[in-house]
Amino acid sequence: MRIVVLGAGISGHTAALMLRRQLSTEHEVIVITPNSKWNWIPSNIWVGVGDMQASDVTFELKPVYDRMKITYIQGKATEIHPEGNDSSNKPFIVVESTAALNKGEIRNVEYDYLINATGPKLNFAATPGLGPDGNSLSVCTVDHAVHTASVLEKLIGEMKQGKKKTFIIGTGHGTCTCQGAAFEYIFNLEFELRQKGVREMAKIVFITNEAELGDFGVGGLSLKGGGFVTPSKVFAESLFAERKVDWITGAHVHQVDKTSLEYETLDGERANLNFDFAMLLPPFGGVGLKAFDAKAVDITSKLFMPSGFMKVDGNYNPKPFEEWSPEDWPRTYQTTYKNVFAIGIAFAPPHQISMPRKSKNGTVIAPAPPRTGMPSAVMGRAVAQSISDMINGVSEAPTQSASMAELGAACVASAGANAFNGSAVSMTMFPIVPNYKKYPEGGGRDLNHTTGEIGTAGHWIKKLLHYAFIYKAKALPFWWIIPE
Amino acid sequence: MSLTQSKDALAPRPTAMTLYLRHFFPWQVLRFILINIRMTFMILKSHGSSIPPVNKKEK
Repeated sequence: MRIVVLGAGISGHTAALMLRRQLSTEHEVIVITPNSKWNWIPSNIWVGVGDMQASDVTFELKPVYDRMKITYIQGKATEIHPEGNDSSNKPFIVVESTAALNKGEIRNVEYDYLINATGPKLNFAATPGLGPDGNSLSVCTVDHAVHTASVLEKLIGEMKQGKKKTFIIGTGHGTCTCQGAAFEYIFNLEFELRQKGVREMAKIVFITNEAELGDFGVGGLSLKGGGFVTPSKVFAESLFAERKVDWITGAHVHQVDKTSLEYETLDGERANLNFDFAMLLPPFGGVGLKAFDAKAVDITSKLFMPSGFMKVDGNYNPKPFEEWSPEDWPRTYQTTYKNVFAIGIAFAPPHQISMPRKSKNGTVIAPAPPRTGMPSAVMGRAVAQSISDMINGVSEAPTQSASMAELGAACVASAGANAFNGSAVSMTMFPIVPNYKKYPEGGGRDLNHTTGEIGTAGHWIKKLLHYAFIYKAKALPFWWIIPE
Repeated sequence: MSLTQSKDALAPRPTAMTLYLRHFFPWQVLRFILINIRMTFMILKSHGSSIPPVNKKEK
């Protein structure tokens, strides 16, 4: 059997390594990814403030895959033909090479099982002027983060000369996700400016599509402690107030110009903000894969949502937000084609977790559900196990469930990188998708397992995770002992 | 304007003792152990669940 994994991010790489470990070498595991390097994306925020180098968060994939006996193809899939074509009923994908040697070369790769783990397309085009090719910065890729750090370094030099600067950090569109990354970046930036002795020269503003701080695209959390159940809004606002960081919530950025941006808030106000430095995250979309049936008829809309994310075993029937339930979330990540799965950011969430809203002018300001990090890796492991069991004759259907309505998440958000005076917010939540019937008191989550605190211990854990996950991704001895 | 000035925000501020404890080494070592235990529980609870195998004969 041949199993093809599209993408070598957290979910795809985990799935490929697990498949290789679980299947005998008579089966072939192929990874197709446009990048030659693996990137531990959560640490890009440290690259973006100049605290780490690109080499600290990346490594070459090919030597790892060679050692693991995984076939590595540097390229991007452009088409899926799950029924084959008129000359063969063997399913295949069309791959365009991104390797320097044969860039642009097209080839077909047949598969018995396919895992779509392509991750997101960084949709900077959604907002005019957004992104490193426009007027704002990013830490979404390591190259973006390196560029951001160099701009920051230059500004710090000017601040040391006595010039005041305005920094805007946040989300560059009303439908962004990954607010946690912007949260981490702004507090690492604030910390670095303090370390460099120029904090007083900086005005720092957080702009976010979250209706409230601490929403994180999951509708916020309720945290038990000190005799109270406290919303994460209070927890987050406390940190912003303590660090003297201003904020704008419920915002959609309409346009980013060279030194100012225009935004609209939920109350319909439109305003401009001037900046010297803007690090704004883009919304995510699917990577634009097309699908065709055996007669070469375009079936993209059958396999993918209009956003480009792949439909799996969730309930995608449209209904009002209030009527969605945890049972609507996918469990096995199997598509209507039983040998095709989608995991990580590539699968289409059935609905928002955070309540979608519109401004008075009808502008959609609705954080998309996060599905990165720990849940992504757990999905990778679960789908790899299911496929292994299906190949080994254990079952004809998936044997593992990893619904985000049944999974929890442990998340460490850095707020300053230093072993002695740095800090991070250590959070756990269970489940990720709230279940209001089961946990009515905790805002849909189990209060015993939904926690948050800030301190230097969090930074130690964040640093430990950085080294542990890179060790695991390199598939070094006993890598599989490290959990997702 | 929608800009919330942090200095004017009605948010709870940490006391001097809270700020001190956030970086006080012995306390943070204890927190490190406790957070790791908490996260280990979360990880054990969150690695998915098994679905009974389906075979042709059972269908």
